[in-house]
Amino acid sequence: MKPPALRVAAALMLFGLTGALLTACDGRPSEDAELNLDDKMVGAMEEYGVGDAFTATEALEFTTMFSDSPTYPYDSDWAFYQKLQEMTNVSLDTTVIPASDYAQKRSLLISSGNSPLIIPKTYPGEENPFISSGAILPISDYVEYMPNYEEKLEKWELDEEVDALRQENGKYYVLPGLHEELWPDYSIAVRTDIYEENGIALPETWDEFADSLEQLKTIYPDVTPYSDRFKGNSVLNFGAGTFGTYGGWGYGDGLTYNADSDDFAYTAASDEYKTMVEYFHDLVERGLMDPESFTQDDDSAIQKFVTGDSFAIGANSQTIVSNRATMTETLGADNFSIAKIQVPKGPAGDVIGGSRLENGLMLSSAAAKSENFVALLQFIDWLYYSDEGQEFAKWGIEGETFTKAADGTRTLATDVTFNGLNPAGTQDLRNVYGFSGGNFAYGGTTDLLRSTMLPEEVEWQIAMESREQAKVEPAIPYSEIEREQVTLLSTPLKDYVDQNTLRFILGQRDLSEYDTFISELEGKGATTYVDLANATYSK
Amino acid sequence: MKVSRSYKTFTVVNVVVLLVIVFVTLYPFINIIAQSFSSESFIRSGVVNLFPRGFNVDTYRLILADDTFWINYRNTVTYTVVGTAISMVLTTTFAYALAKKRLKGRGFFIGIAVFTMFFNGGLIPNYVLISSMGLTNTIWAIVLPNALNIFNLLIMKSFFENMPDELEEAASIDGLNTYGILWRIVLPLSKAVLATMILFYAVANWNSWFQAFLYLDKQELYPVTMYLRNMIAGATTGSAAGAVADADSTQIASNIKSVTMVLTVLPILLIYPFVQKYFVSGVMLGSVKQ
Amino acid sequence: MSAILTREASVAKEDPPRTPPRKRATGWRFMLRRDWQLYSLLVLPILFLLIFRYLPMIGNVIAFRKFQPGGNIFGEYWVGLDYFKLFINDPTFWSVFQNTITLGALTLLFSFPMPIIFALLLNELRFTKLKKFVQSASYLPHFLSVVIIAGMTLQLVSLNGTINQIITRIGGDPISFMQSAEWFRTIYVASDVWQTMGWGAILYLAALTTIDETLYEAARIDGANRWQQTLHVTLPGIAPMIVTLLILNIGTFMAVGFEKILLLYNPLIYTTADVISTYLYRIGLQSSNFSYATAIGIFESVIGLTLILSANFISRRIVGTSLW
Repeated sequence: MKPPALRVAAALMLFGLTGALLTACDGRPSEDAELNLDDKMVGAMEEYGVGDAFTATEALEFTTMFSDSPTYPYDSDWAFYQKLQEMTNVSLDTTVIPASDYAQKRSLLISSGNSPLIIPKTYPGEENPFISSGAILPISDYVEYMPNYEEKLEKWELDEEVDALRQENGKYYVLPGLHEELWPDYSIAVRTDIYEENGIALPETWDEFADSLEQLKTIYPDVTPYSDRFKGNSVLNFGAGTFGTYGGWGYGDGLTYNADSDDFAYTAASDEYKTMVEYFHDLVERGLMDPESFTQDDDSAIQKFVTGDSFAIGANSQTIVSNRATMTETLGADNFSIAKIQVPKGPAGDVIGGSRLENGLMLSSAAAKSENFVALLQFIDWLYYSDEGQEFAKWGIEGETFTKAADGTRTLATDVTFNGLNPAGTQDLRNVYGFSGGNFAYGGTTDLLRSTMLPEEVEWQIAMESREQAKVEPAIPYSEIEREQVTLLSTPLKDYVDQNTLRFILGQRDLSEYDTFISELEGKGATTYVDLANATYSK
Repeated sequence: MKVSRSYKTFTVVNVVVLLVIVFVTLYPFINIIAQSFSSESFIRSGVVNLFPRGFNVDTYRLILADDTFWINYRNTVTYTVVGTAISMVLTTTFAYALAKKRLKGRGFFIGIAVFTMFFNGGLIPNYVLISSMGLTNTIWAIVLPNALNIFNLLIMKSFFENMPDELEEAASIDGLNTYGILWRIVLPLSKAVLATMILFYAVANWNSWFQAFLYLDKQELYPVTMYLRNMIAGATTGSAAGAVADADSTQIASNIKSVTMVLTVLPILLIYPFVQKYFVSGVMLGSVKQ
Repeated sequence: MSAILTREASVAKEDPPRTPPRKRATGWRFMLRRDWQLYSLLVLPILFLLIFRYLPMIGNVIAFRKFQPGGNIFGEYWVGLDYFKLFINDPTFWSVFQNTITLGALTLLFSFPMPIIFALLLNELRFTKLKKFVQSASYLPHFLSVVIIAGMTLQLVSLNGTINQIITRIGGDPISFMQSAEWFRTIYVASDVWQTMGWGAILYLAALTTIDETLYEAARIDGANRWQQTLHVTLPGIAPMIVTLLILNIGTFMAVGFEKILLLYNPLIYTTADVISTYLYRIGLQSSNFSYATAIGIFESVIGLTLILSANFISRRIVGTSLW
């Protein structure tokens, strides 16, 4: 054979072999859940229930991912790990992933079959791509081994919200972080000193907000009073909830559930969405809201606010502290005061959107094959869902990092500081000890959640308590093929909605054309999309 | 030498144009450097231009005091040196061989090289390959996968092709074999392209972070680009990470990007002047006796 | 000494005229024996390509199979051209495809000549110190990270940014650049030219050094002025480099900068700013659909390969130089 052909043939054979070998390997676990876990009890506690502290009966090690945030970089020497091992007899083998690219690397690790057992920092919804391959555990089959989780589900009446996570086969694949109550955070921060100075009351509804801005504009004609950050996606998000719809970050799949007709409609085609768009258009047209709110980067918006070129900006509990610190320098401590206003009420009444489920964790299917499976379940249950475990993850070691008074109030130990609490301390609770980190401490009782908030924020939370949570939408159990279709339909639709929402708000497109817009959406596939959703839902 | 009037005018215009270009390219740079040394309130007010306002080195201090930063910096240097060396060896040998028109099968080899410019396996197969070779968390995962850049290869090949044959013929008559010709004749005369390629590869290696992101899990192996990238991510999405928002962290947030950039760019700026001398005309002068 | 151009003619000199034209004279064994040293130089690079490039290429098969993240890395079962059909039938895909081409072409049109012109201008400078200074300053933008460039660009074109300040000062109305789709292309191309001009010139400056000084002398003796010298000595001298880079750039012009656009764009300007990679990114955020992404990737690759082959062919026919 001539040399070139020989070479090519050899190469092809090599590729073919490799391909065949790898194709032959089927890493998929069986579909049916193995519910008899008698042979997977190594290290598990025989009797384990609510209130029991988990201790593995033998020393165990579990692999886990870790989202590494640079504000408290991973440190294997953290007291968190030492104490955890002491108490539970479990040590963690962590795969450290930079937070900025966590989602991508997580996807890569799972997709290539190299995933650790525990996958934290997973938002409900993020588990969807990995289900059809069987790489992720259908955790709903095993929650009977997690008493604390079940107890909280029941006590806090979270069944409806968790049911929304169920897939086509009726199972759900992510263990969400559970909140006792809704935990709103984002709102608008205003210059309370300027409001006060001019005798303007802090607004409680969107109309009042617009009026207050109008008054400010009259007094300060050169200032556009409201210039938002987050590209407007935050205000459209929490705002939408008060208008009875979804928007901005919370737009999601673009489907709104109608309880009366028990079906779904496309969000942007609804009257509620249109009303919201009209409201913001009004703000921009009257010169009350900076049109660049929707396109400028955060730094520009912040710049305007901290130099007094605007009086209102989007904020959450952290950004407001940050802005305040900056303004102490730019304006001088006595020359300003800022605060988050209550989320303004809208036409939908005293309602805000949001979910009591926050990011949680997934387990790799390999866990079900391990002889320590039950121990793993108990360990997770204790650390993430038991009161003691959550307190530990958040506050640390009683007597060392914090003290607890008789009435339950927790105070940081003298030298420990966190999140602005106990500013005199030098050892940061997260940085130095590894507690209150985002990978292990989230969700929980309202009391626990508020225990690390600044008083100003707690006040705000208490005032927001009176708000009702918007109804939770039921799940649409798409099959894998349907889900693929759905994604490819929903993205262009959402893009078009985003585009036109902005165009309407900014006046680039006249609001009288809104109905034309709705028919354009239908032309882009909105009807197909909604029909598919309803067909699947009614199955 | 007589220089015409029009040429003089041209020179003047040329200088002006070039100076404008310099200004336009330098201004943002100087601005960034100024910001990196300024304090936060001035940055936020948007008044920092060419000079630092409210001279402040807190962010620098924070980063430079961190051991991890220096460990990562050292990693970057190692990866760059090793990676560039490997790349240069592969590219130069390949380019030289392919530049020889008499090489049978030349078109085929060039073809399989060019093909890889457009087709690659994608994220997951590459990851599986590297991890199954056991190279994750080693320097090899960083320096090997992108060692041969076809773009650079083709440019170098082009350079070699344009070298006069007489040089090599003369050398082979003198008894040098292929290796000898390459090493003693061709390379010394190719300083310009070699220097350019070294610069290209070095800069690419220096700035790379994606390979590290994919294949490294341990902080102490990261290159400094990862470290800095994380700092920016952490400082600017402070709310997501639950940042402690006191005066320090806002200062950091305000100029972390500019500080990062200065720290990353500095060494490259220092290398280039050394490389630049190879771009002097006349390298080929007098090399061929006719 | 002739001008430096390709030397295809030299190949013909190899065959000794008296040997009868037998196959053996150009056969493989003969060639291997004669050029074994050259072939030895090929071993490492080819090995490298095989292992690190061709082996993973098998993974592209998932464009034709159903890939489930976490399952078999070669996909689960054959779906044929389904994914290709998916994007061919997706109207959004074609509009982002068009944007990719437009942006790529514009970038090529403007960013390609600039480094050449710049290198030539620089070459005319007789003051060495100034020359070095200008050159060093010029390539600095290349090192600015894309995050910074995007941030600076956004600020520059904001409603009260520098550009609008200039406009208002000469009496016009401020233009809301980042909210009008028509402006994006200009902004993108301008920032690209600014960033690549100095860096791109490096190669040309290197090529300029290889031009034989005696050619200039000969031209001067013939009475050519500076402009004519440029036309007849300099340009032909760097012509191979220009052609090489042109072909390469044509081949890769679809690779429009993903990260920069991602940082600069917003929904209002999707119509001109959205390109294939950013569109895929938004889809990918929801679905991790690697099969779809790979199918589109193959599509792009085929286009790129076709382009470079055509460019190379045309170049060989018309100009005489080619990449191979």
